[in-house]
Amino acid sequence: MRPPIYLAFLLGWGAQATQAQTPVAVTEKDFLNDMPLVLSVSRLPQRLDETPGAVTVLDRNMIRLSGARDVADLLLLVPGFQSSSSFEADAPQASYHGGFSTYAGRIQVLVDGRSAYSPFLFGSVAPGLQTVAIADIERIEVLRGSNSASYGARAFLGVINIVTRDPADTLGPQASVTAGENGVRDAQASFGWGQDNASIRLGVDRRGDDGLKGSNGRNRINRVNFRADLRPVAGDEIQLRLGGLAIDSGVGFAGNVDRPLHDRAFGSSYLQLDWRRNLAADADLALGYAHTDETFRDNFFFVLPVPFNGVTVDFGGRASGDSVSLQHTVRQNANLRFVWGGELRRESVTSKPLYNTDDPQQTQFTRLFGNVEWRAARDVVVNAGGLLERSSKSGDSFAPRLMANWHAADGQTLRAGLSKAYRPPSTFESSSNVRYTAGGVLFQIASLARGTAQPESVVAREIGYLGEFPRQGLSLDVRLFHEQIGGIIRRTPYALAPGTQLLQSAAGFAQAIDYVNAEDFSIRGLEYQLKWRPWAGAQLVFNQAWTNIDSSDAGAALAAPKLASTLMWTQKLPRGVDLSLIHHERGPMTLQGSSVQFPMRRTDLRLGLPLQWGKQRGDLAVVVQNLGAPYQDYNGSFLFQRRAFVALRVDN
Amino acid sequence: MLPMLPMAQLRSILQCLPPRPWFRLALLLLLALAAAAPARAAEPVVVVVISERSASYLEAAEVLVRELELGAPERGGVARADIALMAAGEYAAAPQLAPKLFIAVGAGASSLLAARETRVPQIATLLPAASFEQIMQATGRRPSAMFSAVYLSQPLVRQFDLIRLALPEARRVGVLLGADSQGQAPALQAAALSRGLELASAQVGPGETAYAALQKVLEDADLLLAVPSPQVYNSSSIQNILLSSYRARVPFIGFSASYVQAGAVFAVYSTPAMISRQTAVMARNLLMGRGLPIAPQHPQEFSVSVNEQVARSLGLKLDAAALAERLRQLERTP
Repeated sequence: MRPPIYLAFLLGWGAQATQAQTPVAVTEKDFLNDMPLVLSVSRLPQRLDETPGAVTVLDRNMIRLSGARDVADLLLLVPGFQSSSSFEADAPQASYHGGFSTYAGRIQVLVDGRSAYSPFLFGSVAPGLQTVAIADIERIEVLRGSNSASYGARAFLGVINIVTRDPADTLGPQASVTAGENGVRDAQASFGWGQDNASIRLGVDRRGDDGLKGSNGRNRINRVNFRADLRPVAGDEIQLRLGGLAIDSGVGFAGNVDRPLHDRAFGSSYLQLDWRRNLAADADLALGYAHTDETFRDNFFFVLPVPFNGVTVDFGGRASGDSVSLQHTVRQNANLRFVWGGELRRESVTSKPLYNTDDPQQTQFTRLFGNVEWRAARDVVVNAGGLLERSSKSGDSFAPRLMANWHAADGQTLRAGLSKAYRPPSTFESSSNVRYTAGGVLFQIASLARGTAQPESVVAREIGYLGEFPRQGLSLDVRLFHEQIGGIIRRTPYALAPGTQLLQSAAGFAQAIDYVNAEDFSIRGLEYQLKWRPWAGAQLVFNQAWTNIDSSDAGAALAAPKLASTLMWTQKLPRGVDLSLIHHERGPMTLQGSSVQFPMRRTDLRLGLPLQWGKQRGDLAVVVQNLGAPYQDYNGSFLFQRRAFVALRVDN
Repeated sequence: MLPMLPMAQLRSILQCLPPRPWFRLALLLLLALAAAAPARAAEPVVVVVISERSASYLEAAEVLVRELELGAPERGGVARADIALMAAGEYAAAPQLAPKLFIAVGAGASSLLAARETRVPQIATLLPAASFEQIMQATGRRPSAMFSAVYLSQPLVRQFDLIRLALPEARRVGVLLGADSQGQAPALQAAALSRGLELASAQVGPGETAYAALQKVLEDADLLLAVPSPQVYNSSSIQNILLSSYRARVPFIGFSASYVQAGAVFAVYSTPAMISRQTAVMARNLLMGRGLPIAPQHPQEFSVSVNEQVARSLGLKLDAAALAERLRQLERTP
């Protein structure tokens, strides 16, 4: 019997394919031929013990073992950080050494180097922390301490740099589903493709729960993220990132006319294009462009007495940002490496209800920066740098930094240095003009900025220690800090001219809110992180932070707790089961600018069972967040109750 | 007339060489030799056949000729005029030659000569061990007093010794094997075992990218040792491999200086000049009537190169010169 033609065709095709794949034999050419330079100067980041400041890295493994569903939650594992689980302001906030406001705007958030800081309203890192799915995160690098010398004004007290997984590491399908108490329903999927010189990932995810008890709950986050890394020729790399984020949450309080129950929507999308070129053996050039759009919808109807119907109280609007940056990294010799560059950035915020105009509020930033890494002696690395920023709104400022790292002994590094930074007032703080009008009558001017606020400043001095004791399985990171804040921008009511508006305060005069430079105060303290592998399969991470804020304002003085401690214990059990136990405990503090202080105690447990289906691996985890009594969040009226959920995950 | 390299061809060779004055001078001398040779219509004593006319082969040939020339004929020295240098193409087109010795530089020339010259002793040089084994398989020849080799590739134990010296904490050595390097697996396994190391190997199928195998090895291993395989390691795949291992903080160990330049943490390797010096010693011994060593030789001279920036960024303190010295000491002590 003759095989059917199609079978012969298939066989023939198969034979051809095999022939085409016949490998070239090994020859001396493999030894003698040149190879393209891959790990060029800008691809080699500074080592943790040579960076000009304290850095805490939360890696993928730690993120997975924590069971956290949210980046803000993860930041509780970083010494000196406070965070909330509330979506009341815009999304869960995180701050370092105190937020001092409803919105955490005194730190910077970067996602793969792109600023994801939301310029809308007061400026906030919270929506930016939600940019990518937890599953797509390779690591979170937290730069503790002012970093304006490298990252501009928003890195006033610190930087959170979220690094997504390289698409080359995430080929094929990957997915996870999570479900449990408190309406927890998360689903996530991504798919990656790759060849030798291109790799791509597309991921979508949805995160949802019913929120904190006492809140208007129902938080839904939907995300889509795309990343393509292309290496068309040796020495050139192009990365394209695109994404969108929608955060829908219920906010407000039952029976509160000033903030009744209603829905709020935040949306953002971004495009980021980066091109890196290897210029020479010791020089790289990076050119980047990023565009971000934001929309904010948050309004409710405020009922007024007869004969007026009422007014719509609205915080909505749009914001956008464009940035072009250029960076040149050069290794002059074995002991001297420098990076310098510039950024042109335009931000625009448009909101009729907030600024009483349809015109966009534009701010132009021009930044020039440089940093020299100088190996002054065999054991001493000095980093000297600065960033000159020109803001079209608040003029010029210069943020310098000088830091010396001394490798006192093998694995022992002492670090000391100082830096200065400025944070200009946000668009809302400098230009707010919120008016409520009904039936042609101006009822109230809620907020009217007089434009007098100057940039607030910080002078940060620090002494750090990094110790590695591989024999004992120990490592220690200590930071002793003194951050002198000058002219913090704070909300202040002031009297309006009589007759300006209908409503008057209890004192009998009309008043509006402005944001002005208030007091100077200092944040002093000590924080450390101890990592220890005491026995096989175990790791203990212990953080403590003592913070003393000597503000005359009772709320600001407790914007960070006097003492916060975190212990994370992870243990590999038989059959590859992962056990993690995380305990947080902190003294009373005022979260998000509220004046009410309350402490927090929370214990999370995770048990993860590794799974394997053929080539595909994954795990099934049970997570219980806050095993103990509910703790207070936001302004104290919300409670984080125990949440148990199950997460099933299939890895690439 | 002897099938020597024509002048025009030598000139074109000169043009593609690095602009090093001594090198050009040396090549001019060779050129003079080539031009002078036809006048002496005698058989050459040594015929050197290079695989192709490119810099590495010419550098190897130049050193080889210089080394052979040293000393009196009774000590194995050969006058320049008695050495014929030709590329594989010229050799293939040439009539039968009857020198005392053929030296084939590179796998291409070696393969050609192994098949054609069975009556005259020959040394295959500047080729990896794997190539020589392939040639033996293809031609059915065995190493003998008439047929030997000087490898360009390092003995595996030397590489594992260096790993132990440079990365004393490392236990599991990852390797990626392609269809063209799969044959090395048992030898790698044995060499690792002999040095108290474990091998974590992953196979890259023909036509596949290295992604999946790479992920597996990077998860399992303390370091990744490159094993030559044009299928796995080539100029387009090296970016992904180096970047992925750097991301995973798994030190990547190369097998040539250019791998170290590209981003490998270190490598032990021999230059064409080193191989030629060793080949010349072997050749002179033969010319003095001592025959060829039956076992092909691995390089005796070697260098260690360290990418200090990459090492430092991975938290490794490595000194190339000190490592090379300790490696030599280790090999001297039995």
